[in-house]
Amino acid sequence: MINVKNLTHYYGKDKALDNINLQIQKGEFISLIGESGSGKSTLLSVLSTLLKPTNGEIVYENINYKDIKNIDRFRRENIGFIFQFHYLINYLTVKENISLANEKASKKQIEELLDLLKIKELINKYPNEISGGQRQRVSIARALINNPKIIFADEPTGNLDSVNSLNVFELLKTFSNKGTTIVVATHDRNLAAIADIIYEVKDGKLI
Amino acid sequence: MISYAFKALNANKLKTILIYLSLIFSIVSIFLISSISNGIITMYSSMLKSDGDIIITQAKISDTFFSNVDINLIEKINEIQNVENSSALIVGASPVEKLPIVAVYGVTSNRFKNYELLNGSYPKENEVIVGKSIFEQLVNKKQIQIANKDFKISGVFKSQIGFENGGVVLSINDAGNIFNKSASMIMVNTKVDTNIEDIVKNIKKLDEQIDAKSTQNFVDNYNQFKIIKTSSNVISLIAFCMGLLGIVSLMSITINQRKSEFGIKRALGISTSKIVYSIMIESFILGLISFISAFIISNIVLYFIKNASSLQGYVNGEISNELALYIFITSISMAIIGSIIPALNAAKTDPVELIQGNKI
Repeated sequence: MINVKNLTHYYGKDKALDNINLQIQKGEFISLIGESGSGKSTLLSVLSTLLKPTNGEIVYENINYKDIKNIDRFRRENIGFIFQFHYLINYLTVKENISLANEKASKKQIEELLDLLKIKELINKYPNEISGGQRQRVSIARALINNPKIIFADEPTGNLDSVNSLNVFELLKTFSNKGTTIVVATHDRNLAAIADIIYEVKDGKLI
Repeated sequence: MISYAFKALNANKLKTILIYLSLIFSIVSIFLISSISNGIITMYSSMLKSDGDIIITQAKISDTFFSNVDINLIEKINEIQNVENSSALIVGASPVEKLPIVAVYGVTSNRFKNYELLNGSYPKENEVIVGKSIFEQLVNKKQIQIANKDFKISGVFKSQIGFENGGVVLSINDAGNIFNKSASMIMVNTKVDTNIEDIVKNIKKLDEQIDAKSTQNFVDNYNQFKIIKTSSNVISLIAFCMGLLGIVSLMSITINQRKSEFGIKRALGISTSKIVYSIMIESFILGLISFISAFIISNIVLYFIKNASSLQGYVNGEISNELALYIFITSISMAIIGSIIPALNAAKTDPVELIQGNKI
């Protein structure tokens, strides 16, 4: 699914990623754990095409990163992203926020997805009318609406209580079981244990 | 897309209102300065065009105010083939009562018909008729003094040409005595289907001290009109730039506060061009609403200016379809150009900042 070879990334003169080699298979649920500043967020940014790597090679299902001509389109069609903060747009309803990621998604598709996430009744609500846990579920729905092959999540439970955090990870596990590849960065080792594979990132290296 | 734009504008009410006000002030300024200068030019050219195909002034004189033409030329001009008739006009100005400046028109008797009498009769010797605007402001409504000479008010007139309503009309002989000249200009009417330029050439042969032009040619080349138009364009340009700067700064503030919105859009794979386009639509809507508001406000202001008796009808704005279209294009351009830089900045928002834990 994703093949990473000798990946290195620098911020100016500071090395953030140091010779990373990694293979991710379709449908795998991977947790990246590590201290703050260890490089896990940078690795996530590079793998999700948000950040161009300094050196190394990333191949997505036989497509080399360097050969991708329209990176926006590639990201839109293949990748879903969940942030620590939900980043929902406050003046748009739940439905409209989800539609941002896929304008062609029908109301029925959105309703089905929200039903799966157990928040169907929120479809016409605004983000400031729902709870923090519900907002994060909406952001998961937004990441899933274009049926991405891979979902990257950066500390998706960072702003949630333990119950909601567990719910989010269980949801991600459900989608992983259905064949979506999930890569999550977290500092919570208990939640990370729900994943199929755990990698620790330390000083920019994968342990 | 349009409904999202309305929602975005509504969500940022304060900034939207500030941008809206900034646009309105600029557009109203452009409307007023353009329409008032257009109005002045139109009124004066209408007056010139109302009774003449050819205008004769003193040669090498920059303004009709200083022109002095021999009125006796009228007889010779009327003898030229295809000339229908001729009239003469003296244009002057004088303080009247407390009014510091009032236009004084000395006209030949055949021009009196241009002034529609509301009451009284056309002036004889030592008499004047006054425009309805100035009449309302006179304390003594029976007699006025022009250049230390008393004139009886024989009637009150109304003219379609606004600033004539703020003036005084008397016979050209009386005006000649006041301003010590024969005539400021002579207007010549030609017969239908006549080659005006041929008559112009013949008139010029009559006297080396005169300059003759077709009325259209005169209006197109009149220096005072050029000065008014240039001044109006310069002030309009300044208003445009002020509006533009206002929009750039206010839009930049708004865009900066919405950076997380653009960051998430970038992270979702929405293209930079689409982000720029969405902001342009917001600007277009603002420009359109501001233009409509400014158009209404300008018409209200112009109505009050037109009817303000203290202005004696001298200021009379005119919003033609052409001017409205020109200002519409200007307004939309102002809104869109003003949002280009903020929109490009928004589109450049780096979504990595979202992932690095900064709530940008």
